[in-house]
Amino acid sequence: MFGRILWKLLRGNRGRLAVALVAVISGAAVVSALLTIEFDISRKLTQEFRLLGPNIVVSGKNIDESVDPHSIQALNANVIPARLSPDSPFTGSSGASVAASAPFYFAVVRVSGTAVIAAGTWLDQLPKLNPTWRIAGNWISSRDDEQQCLIGRKVAQQFEIAPGGEITLNYTRDQARFRVAGVIDSGAAEDNQVFLDLPAAWKLTDNQGFMTLWQLNVDGTGPSIGNYASRLAAALPEYDVHPVRAVTEAEGNLLGRTRLLIVSMVVLILVLTALCVLATMAALAMERRADVGLMKALGGTISRIVGLFVAEVGVLGAVGGLLGCIAGMALAQWMGRRVFGTSITQRWEVFPLTIAMMIGVAMAGALPLRRLGDVRPAVILRGE
Amino acid sequence: MTEWLVQIEDLRKEFGNVRALDGVSFDVRAGEWIAIMGPSGSGKTTLINILGGLDMPTSGRAIVDGTDVARLDENGLARFRSEKIGFIFQQFHLVPYLTAIENVMLAQYFHSTTDEAEAREALGRVGLTDRVEHLPGQLSGGEQQRVAVARALINHPKLILADEPTGNLDETNEGIVLKLLRELHVEGHTILMVTHAASIGQMADRRIELAHGRLAAEPSVRRR
Repeated sequence: MFGRILWKLLRGNRGRLAVALVAVISGAAVVSALLTIEFDISRKLTQEFRLLGPNIVVSGKNIDESVDPHSIQALNANVIPARLSPDSPFTGSSGASVAASAPFYFAVVRVSGTAVIAAGTWLDQLPKLNPTWRIAGNWISSRDDEQQCLIGRKVAQQFEIAPGGEITLNYTRDQARFRVAGVIDSGAAEDNQVFLDLPAAWKLTDNQGFMTLWQLNVDGTGPSIGNYASRLAAALPEYDVHPVRAVTEAEGNLLGRTRLLIVSMVVLILVLTALCVLATMAALAMERRADVGLMKALGGTISRIVGLFVAEVGVLGAVGGLLGCIAGMALAQWMGRRVFGTSITQRWEVFPLTIAMMIGVAMAGALPLRRLGDVRPAVILRGE
Repeated sequence: MTEWLVQIEDLRKEFGNVRALDGVSFDVRAGEWIAIMGPSGSGKTTLINILGGLDMPTSGRAIVDGTDVARLDENGLARFRSEKIGFIFQQFHLVPYLTAIENVMLAQYFHSTTDEAEAREALGRVGLTDRVEHLPGQLSGGEQQRVAVARALINHPKLILADEPTGNLDETNEGIVLKLLRELHVEGHTILMVTHAASIGQMADRRIELAHGRLAAEPSVRRR
């Protein structure tokens, strides 16, 4: 009978309840979308920040941390061990994982008599280390290709070399010729550099085994990247290990601010939804005084009568929450594409959380129904 | 030995400065049909409400089946109403979004558990077998009052309190409802009925007249 009365209560007041239901659905849709984004945002921001390039640099202890080509000559020939390879046991620890890493050896060479920075590296790692770089021509997918190189956009302009052309590098009395596979547009200093296979650079400059630094692009949040760098520094005490703080701190700050914004909006929406439900329920409470007076006259206890109305509100919150969550899935995808330019991974834990919040909000909005407990049947039955 | 179902002693009820009941005392035997009569404002409905646990006396005692109504708390009053009282109101007071059978089952629900077959049988007894699934708005006034009678009887109450049960009915339906009350009386139910109509009052075993909240007269005792 409880379910039967409950169903009739819902049907009998569907006009008014529809208003509250729309409010709950709307609130739940926005809340679930924001929560989905909040839960997914650290992953998204990590991806976004990884696009900014390497976020950990490992170098010898006795050099300046910059990659100033004039100081490179002073470097020791410290070879960073293979422990830093992407297969290193450090990867994947502390919530961070190495997406790409490569050694760099910088030397100043000459092209047609003009000084140019040559960077010997693992050419296959460049697009992974620097996802935002654009290329005209092709990336070099082999790590052992000593015949081809990549050149920066400004180098290409200065020496009028296009993809498929050739470039000759001079170092003291040695000379090497390379086919240009692609022209890189980094939007930064790398536009002035020539990227060679690492052994080819060593061979040209007769500096076998020398590495200026090692760059890593590590997945993870700011704190997890910092934690990873600390562990790496502890494991490699002979080197300087430093995270690129501008990136990690910016990520941390943005993450914190975004979270604060989302939490504030969720609280605001919950309050507004509760107010809307409250307005509806206040009107409904007035209309139901006669029913409650009669139910009391028939022997209904306050708990049993109010229990009916509480169940009604609970159904309202649960149904509104569920429908809102479904709408929120689409909303989260839309917001993800608009804000991050990518899809948002659906977090299923948002469903029970949102539904529970909507039931709570509906219950809070149903506070006026508590007044029904004070209804005196004799007064109601007299028609007052 | 007389079995008193209702004992009323020096019952008083005041609404602010208005004295609705002013020292009313009388007793009702089990199985009696009492008509409570009097002009408007004489305290008839107030008396019924106190006996049914819908209102509290200012002083005095109203004992129904051994229970002093004034001593019950909110939950005790609810239990008292569901177990011992069957109400029939002038305005019918059916829940508009529940069908006839659901209105009857609502009283069962507040009493203990529902029994649809029993509710159907109660509606059949008042001649509404083919109207059980109708909403109150789809029933005539007489039919609605018969649903109210079925609802009042469904929990086998000790006392039926009827406040102007035919006040809103035409002559035909008035006859049907009074016939039902007469049958209940014959079966041994105790009925306290408020009425203005002397002709209806004549059907009761006793008529109790109230005036200005006091017992004016108990003029007649009709033998069954």
